[in-house]
Amino acid sequence: MRMWSGMVFLSVLAIFSLGFTASAQEKLADKQVLTVAFDAGDAQSLDPHRAATTVDRSTLDMIFNGLVRYPIGNQVGIEPDLAESWKLSADGKTYSFNLRKGVFFHPFPGNPEGYELTSEDVVFSLKRAAAADTSAYAGEYRGLDFKAVDPYKIEITMEKPISETLFMSKVANYAGGFIVSKKAIESQGTDWFKTHPVGTGPFKFESYEPQQKTVLAQNPKYFRGKPILEQVVVRYVPNVSSRELGLRTGELQVIEGVKEDKWVEKVSAFPEVKVKSFGPCEVQTLFFNMSLKPFDDVRVRKAFSYAVSRDEVAAFMGKGIAVPIYAAALAPPAPGALTREEAQAAGVLYENDIAKAKQLLAEAGYPNGIQFEAITSELDSSYRKPMIALQAQVKKAGIDMQVKVVDHASFHSLIRKDASPVVYYACWRPNLDVFLTRFYHSDSSVMTGKSPDTNFSHYGTPEAVKGGQSGNIDALIEQARWELNPEKQNELWKKAQIAVLKDVAVVPVVRQLYVFPMKTYVELGYPLEFSWQTYSPQINEKTRILAH
Amino acid sequence: MFSYVIRRILQSIPILFVVITLVFVIVRVLPGDPAVAALGDYASKEAVEALREKMGLHAPLWLQYLHFLGNICQGDLGASAITGYPVGAQVLKVLPHTLELTFFGIFLGYFLGIPPGILSAIKRNTFIDYFCRIFSLLGLSVPAFYLGILLILLLSVQFPLFPVVGAGDFSNPADNFRHLFLPGLTLGLLMTAYITRMTRSSILNIIREDYVRTAYAKGLLDRVVLFKHVLRNAMIPIVALGGLYAVVLIGSSVMVEIVFSRPGLGKLMVGAIKQRDYVTFQSVMVIYAIMVVLLNLLIDLIYSMIDPRIKYR
Repeated sequence: MRMWSGMVFLSVLAIFSLGFTASAQEKLADKQVLTVAFDAGDAQSLDPHRAATTVDRSTLDMIFNGLVRYPIGNQVGIEPDLAESWKLSADGKTYSFNLRKGVFFHPFPGNPEGYELTSEDVVFSLKRAAAADTSAYAGEYRGLDFKAVDPYKIEITMEKPISETLFMSKVANYAGGFIVSKKAIESQGTDWFKTHPVGTGPFKFESYEPQQKTVLAQNPKYFRGKPILEQVVVRYVPNVSSRELGLRTGELQVIEGVKEDKWVEKVSAFPEVKVKSFGPCEVQTLFFNMSLKPFDDVRVRKAFSYAVSRDEVAAFMGKGIAVPIYAAALAPPAPGALTREEAQAAGVLYENDIAKAKQLLAEAGYPNGIQFEAITSELDSSYRKPMIALQAQVKKAGIDMQVKVVDHASFHSLIRKDASPVVYYACWRPNLDVFLTRFYHSDSSVMTGKSPDTNFSHYGTPEAVKGGQSGNIDALIEQARWELNPEKQNELWKKAQIAVLKDVAVVPVVRQLYVFPMKTYVELGYPLEFSWQTYSPQINEKTRILAH
Repeated sequence: MFSYVIRRILQSIPILFVVITLVFVIVRVLPGDPAVAALGDYASKEAVEALREKMGLHAPLWLQYLHFLGNICQGDLGASAITGYPVGAQVLKVLPHTLELTFFGIFLGYFLGIPPGILSAIKRNTFIDYFCRIFSLLGLSVPAFYLGILLILLLSVQFPLFPVVGAGDFSNPADNFRHLFLPGLTLGLLMTAYITRMTRSSILNIIREDYVRTAYAKGLLDRVVLFKHVLRNAMIPIVALGGLYAVVLIGSSVMVEIVFSRPGLGKLMVGAIKQRDYVTFQSVMVIYAIMVVLLNLLIDLIYSMIDPRIKYR
């Protein structure tokens, strides 16, 4: 009897402990459908060579691959994607890529099983990305030649060799680097392809309902393995309250948030919600139009800069949401970005000194301060709020900056007509070469340059030099662009930024973090630190929903 | 009657023409480049120029205008300047959602608005009357989006009865109705406030009439007098003015569509303005103008049906 009860006790104990270990393993939910909601009214374009909005880039990131990719989650360096390996020729002008075998395109009418990707598709896709009438990113591919050597090998030849950093960004899984299906476009036409993307990624396009959602289904043939998620639904929800409430009820599992710490606090308190904030997000920089009074005087510009307290602006926008920056281009960890220490060492860190600001203004001939009107966009977290913070700060030094708020599209067109003497601009560019060229090369000067772009300060142009000394970094930019050694390239880029800051053409202010609240039972499948490709948490074959 | 309808339709063509021209001019006067809006500020300059060429933005203004008029007359609403999707197809896809929302809102407006109005009128200056009047004043003052969010908090979050976002499938009527209820209720409550007040004042006017006094004098039951004589006559202005308010409701439906993330004409239009999508915006405005004209015509016809004193020739 005692033996029996002992055995029963032992077996109960055994079952109990088995159950315990089983629950320690991860249990997946029955329904593996992830719904992600973005701040957008609708999809603008499902063509990867045209897509420019956050929601479209995030959607297409799940559908397409590139030759190489930025490692998911931290995005530093590159790793193989559709290409298994690559080699640079001895003369440094030709890269040859060996393609992975057994990569299948998603099914489409006429090809219910899809078909294997070969070099033909890669060359077709890259040529399409290089043509101005089919691609918004055609400028990136100037001077490149594409050739299919054999079905699994392609060669890309550069007219003039560029560094690996710059080259790889053109063939990575982003914008023009996304590889599209040649057969799909040729058999169904470009118009069809605009609304039916066909790629090689972990998820394939299933349906699109205007203003509502795009549904993606899992691609069981994905070369990295069948995705755990069965379906991903991308919803277009432009109203933040709706997104919030949808997250609360569980209708939405991941939502695009608002970059405001009060809002983040509120949402973190919802049941089963965790908030993911990650970088690098757009850098926000203030540009002075150096060709106009009073900003043609470097002392006035310096005065403005000294009146700014970056930490205060960051705190106003939300600690944990905004971070001060000191680089005249992208912020660290972008290769070549200037750090605070470097800026300080070079003596170009101007901030937090109201007395000095007043003194400089007086020296420049404005003892009673200055007054002007600046135009800014209605977008709260990237334009209006920081401008309000800056307005209050510089007022203390006697600088009366009136702020006129206009809608976003008008803002973008007005600043390109020199309508505002200072321009606060939030943006991101894939590397320092692009940033420096578009914002500081004299050719890019707004209205007056050879090919006007976003050089709002007119840096390097004759009209910006007249009021005082001011440099020109055109030669430096071009030298850096063709520098093949990455360390030397970074050094040149830093030199360029220091030159710009010495002339106080701009005041780098802050950069923000993206905020994406999601349900605690959503497991991304990788640690998320940076996501600049999509401005959102990327979803891949390992993302899954835990039991809840 | 038929000739009357035709005449009214023909009379509305000049109105539509003025609306279209105004819209065309206003959109082009606004600063903002649709090509930049379409491609994002990261795109290369060549791409932006290529798109402007494709959109026909380099052509002189009068040529663009004639192009536009010509297309409208052929029933071609053009292709979106941003996405390239044909506008006609987009409108057809979202129009049913807007129509069902608007009509459900109007229906709820009458259904929920008339009984309190009657009650308020017959129990004039009592507590019920005051309560209904204050309630309807609140309804008139609350903006659509605020009311929508309140309803979501109550009926989706607090008591999970209805979904928060989306529109549901037409193929699944039950699911569709669940998605329609809250947005429809939001619009309906806005209209209820108006209808309640209208009903009350209309009935009070009628009750003072001689023939009503005669009916009471004849010894008819209160209930009979009310429903057979008073209400029928009171309905006329309620229907007419309510119908006019329905036009206002179309405007409020834009806010409701945004709060509930419902696809609809309003959301399409707001998106088009933000992106300077001239083509979509113009075409949607034309649709709206036609809707308003037809709605007014419908109201007038209903009016003539319920009031035998009115004849159209």
